[in-house]
Amino acid sequence: MIAGKTWREIRLMALVYLLILELLAIPVLLLWPDLYSDLQKSTLFRNLPIDFVKRITEGVSDTNEQIAYRNWVAVMLYFRSVNLAGIAASVLMGVALFARERETQTLEFLLARPISRSRILLHKSWPTALALLIPIFLVNYSAIFWSWQIGLDLPFREITLASIHAGAFVLMFLAFTTWMSVICRTQAHVAFWVGGITVIQLGIYMTQRWRRHSLFRLSDFEWYAPILAGNRPLWQMLDPVTSHGYTTYALLAAAFFYFMAWRALRRLEL
Amino acid sequence: MSAIAIENLHKRFAAKTVLRGIDLDIASGELLGLVGPNGAGKSTLLRTLIGLVERDQGSVSVLGHDPRQASLAIRRRCCYLPGETGVYAQMTGAEFLRFSLGFYPRHREALHQQLEAEFALPLHLRVRSYSAGMKQKLALMATLVPDVEIYVLDEPDRALDASVRFFLRDVLRDLKSAGKTILLSSHHLSEVETLADRLEFLIDGVLVDAERLAEANARLRRRPRLRLRPGATLPEGASVLRHEPDGTLVLETAEEPLLWLRDLAPEDVQSAEIGVVRLEDLYQLLLKEPHAATERDS
Repeated sequence: MIAGKTWREIRLMALVYLLILELLAIPVLLLWPDLYSDLQKSTLFRNLPIDFVKRITEGVSDTNEQIAYRNWVAVMLYFRSVNLAGIAASVLMGVALFARERETQTLEFLLARPISRSRILLHKSWPTALALLIPIFLVNYSAIFWSWQIGLDLPFREITLASIHAGAFVLMFLAFTTWMSVICRTQAHVAFWVGGITVIQLGIYMTQRWRRHSLFRLSDFEWYAPILAGNRPLWQMLDPVTSHGYTTYALLAAAFFYFMAWRALRRLEL
Repeated sequence: MSAIAIENLHKRFAAKTVLRGIDLDIASGELLGLVGPNGAGKSTLLRTLIGLVERDQGSVSVLGHDPRQASLAIRRRCCYLPGETGVYAQMTGAEFLRFSLGFYPRHREALHQQLEAEFALPLHLRVRSYSAGMKQKLALMATLVPDVEIYVLDEPDRALDASVRFFLRDVLRDLKSAGKTILLSSHHLSEVETLADRLEFLIDGVLVDAERLAEANARLRRRPRLRLRPGATLPEGASVLRHEPDGTLVLETAEEPLLWLRDLAPEDVQSAEIGVVRLEDLYQLLLKEPHAATERDS
């Protein structure tokens, strides 16, 4: 019942999110052949003093078009779309989960029903998680189709692996927003905290010396490009001991924030 | 047997103590009216019973369960109507009822039909188009239709017009005669008075004890209400507390009012009411008197 209610509340947002992701993807994929020749000639980005932009430019203008195209997909479909639309959608959907119920005074009604708070959290979270994850996979798989239109191939396996990681990263933001949504009294407060922390993390990412401390390091070009190139298998994505294991970090962070949301909801007094 | 038993319940929110040593026993099948001014702690007390608020001290038992450990078991057997009407604006009335009744396995179908007919809500419309009264009616349906053992109602008559309030009174009487326990908090004193088996006054986080209530009752019994012929003079031994718009005087006598009344010439008295304690007056008196707990705290 709660899952159904949550789905009805977010389904329009999920559809808009899917459309935005697809609309962000289609032009950059179909225009690739023209862009590729321009990128090879252009020296503008290569001379920028921002190190990661330089590396991205080098990656997408690689002399091997197949490698350059996969790097382009890593930048546009993952580094850009996930970090932009994915985070925005997870915040928008997560903010409403509990803070809106408080604002509209329905939370007391809901918590007084004969259902445990753990189940309330679960039944609110899983439809939201699916509403965030399904569009990521659908749009990224659709990239395989769009690539055929320009005579290029994208490997299904690598697209799946990169999408799994993107999903874990977005889930981490959703779980964090859910936690804030339980703690904060208004949606504006949740947006302030989540937005503020995201901006700070972005600032840290932009500073080369501090970059490795930023959450965005978990979802940047340098993480996705090797996955799409087939150089980072699933075990490396998951293994934090002998490899980077960023996917595990993202999943652990998501689990930690979900636990915090559960703990806060259990202790919540009205 | 007690449906609800509360002993020495204390609750504090940050610097504010909301409940100070509440002791209350509600028998199974009893309808208890809880009366008190805004901020007295009524809603906190009701929320504590179903586990929405955690107590700081004391013991609470609802149908044999402690809300701290088994609030879910309590909520399965107890329906709660919050003081603030919380209904999902984006749902239609019918969707909201389906949603909220879906949590309970057993419903009182006859009552459902009765409420639907009496309230005549446009259930096909979204709740956002409802007035405050209509939202309250919808919340009442969601609370009263489930077949549970205890109904905890925080101001159920809020935003309702007189005819619906009378109807609600009948519904609550029917529930009570079906053996249900009802805990009702309300500001409509006259209706609580006619409905409840017992009244409890909650003032400044403390239930007014029997001794204080008896004192207040005794004091009010010494307050005759008189309507005198114009020009009539009052004998010594009484002070006028107030003049009511219809010309009635509310007095306080130093001695027994009947003895004092002997000094009045019978032709001067148009009407007299002696020894009748009105709930409104009792409430006012209790509110005005300095509270023992407040004094202690200060």
